[in-house]
Amino acid sequence: MSRRLAAGAATAVITLLTLTASGCGSTGLTAPRLQTSLSSTFANLYVLQQTEQGNPKPSAASLKSQASCQKGGTPDIPQDGSGAWLCQITYLVAGPGYPVIAKYNVDVQTDGCYAADGDGPASVNGSPTIIGPHYAQLINPLSLIDGCFDTT
Amino acid sequence: MTLAADQWPAYAEPAAGPAGPSDPRQRSGTLVVWRLELAKLRGQWRVRAIALMCLVGPFVIVAGLNVQSATPGDTAFGQWVHTSGFAIPMVILGFGGQWLLPVGTAVVAGDIFSSEDHFGTWKTILTRSRSRGELFAGKFLAALTFATATMVLLIITDLLAGLLAGTQPVVGLGGQLVTASHATELVVVSWLSVIPPVLGFTALAIFTSVASRNSAVGIGVPVVLTLAFQVVTLIALPAWGQQVLLSTPFTAWHGFWEQPAYVGPFLYGLLTSAVWFTLCSAAAWLVFRRRTIGGAS
Repeated sequence: MSRRLAAGAATAVITLLTLTASGCGSTGLTAPRLQTSLSSTFANLYVLQQTEQGNPKPSAASLKSQASCQKGGTPDIPQDGSGAWLCQITYLVAGPGYPVIAKYNVDVQTDGCYAADGDGPASVNGSPTIIGPHYAQLINPLSLIDGCFDTT
Repeated sequence: MTLAADQWPAYAEPAAGPAGPSDPRQRSGTLVVWRLELAKLRGQWRVRAIALMCLVGPFVIVAGLNVQSATPGDTAFGQWVHTSGFAIPMVILGFGGQWLLPVGTAVVAGDIFSSEDHFGTWKTILTRSRSRGELFAGKFLAALTFATATMVLLIITDLLAGLLAGTQPVVGLGGQLVTASHATELVVVSWLSVIPPVLGFTALAIFTSVASRNSAVGIGVPVVLTLAFQVVTLIALPAWGQQVLLSTPFTAWHGFWEQPAYVGPFLYGLLTSAVWFTLCSAAAWLVFRRRTIGGAS
């Protein structure tokens, strides 16, 4: 009796939540939030990558990195929610005249955390490892970027 | 013999004089039950097994990571486990937190009331000098104590295992390098932040234990709900729908590792945990207070 009651209550809760799922309200997983988070995380990790390779340390702000993300790669579908996003990060390495574009396949989870997988250029985010001083193999921080943003 | 809810002997204090409201023994009835329940818990093999797992588990994981070069890449901090020891407690929290912690507390809380049904001992303990409220509070407190104690133990062993693995700066979720001292703080605070939802699951398991009078259901329903939350989370719920789930507060710690750090999900998570805790405790008490002990069930 009480077992059926508990099972019924659980089913009711889940059904209710599922029904409201399709309904009103944003998931909070929006393009501007993702872009702001990804571009600043990328800039910090770029500085780390350069330092680890023994290159002169740039400042994260000087990169003026800007991300532009589209869900599913096209603007046709609603630009909101978890799933596969495509992002391009434009940043300035050698002055305003030389923008570089780094591409990422971004998997956004419902809690606002994402995993951005590097998709070129190969010299920046293509390889999972980089060569440090004394030929040490280090993790390329730009190859896979884990980050999160506030959905509340 | 049937003891209806309102007719059972409330205070059968044996030859100890009148039990007035100022009697200290009466006021400490909850504490007596609490101490007794903790002693009973200490004797259970599953409690000992969980304690042992909390004690050695993190060190086993560190040792396991040491003998292989692969990384758990599909979770936050996963790729940094060989670079910094601080990544390891966070991988454990991200990987196992939403599953293992609710199950761990449910194993005890989902059994603490229904075991009396299983052994048919309600009649025995309710005819003692402890009121129904004292019994409920004492058992409830014992389950909460177990949950909190194992969490504290797990925080300590996790941090020690991480420190043992290496104290290099760790890459935070904002791409920033986090120094050893700050990372130590963040590891502890992140783990502390999942205690409220763990206590929420404790209250939930108490409720299922009281309502079902069956330990398999008492433990099983919270475990199944944990899995159900994981499935529901995958749906594109609106933000408030995610916040209602008791599994969401387990991920709030991610914000602490961002730059700038944010605590919005943590604060909403506190509210979510408090609501679940209150509703489940109240429901459990209502069921427990009205039930008939000793009759055919």
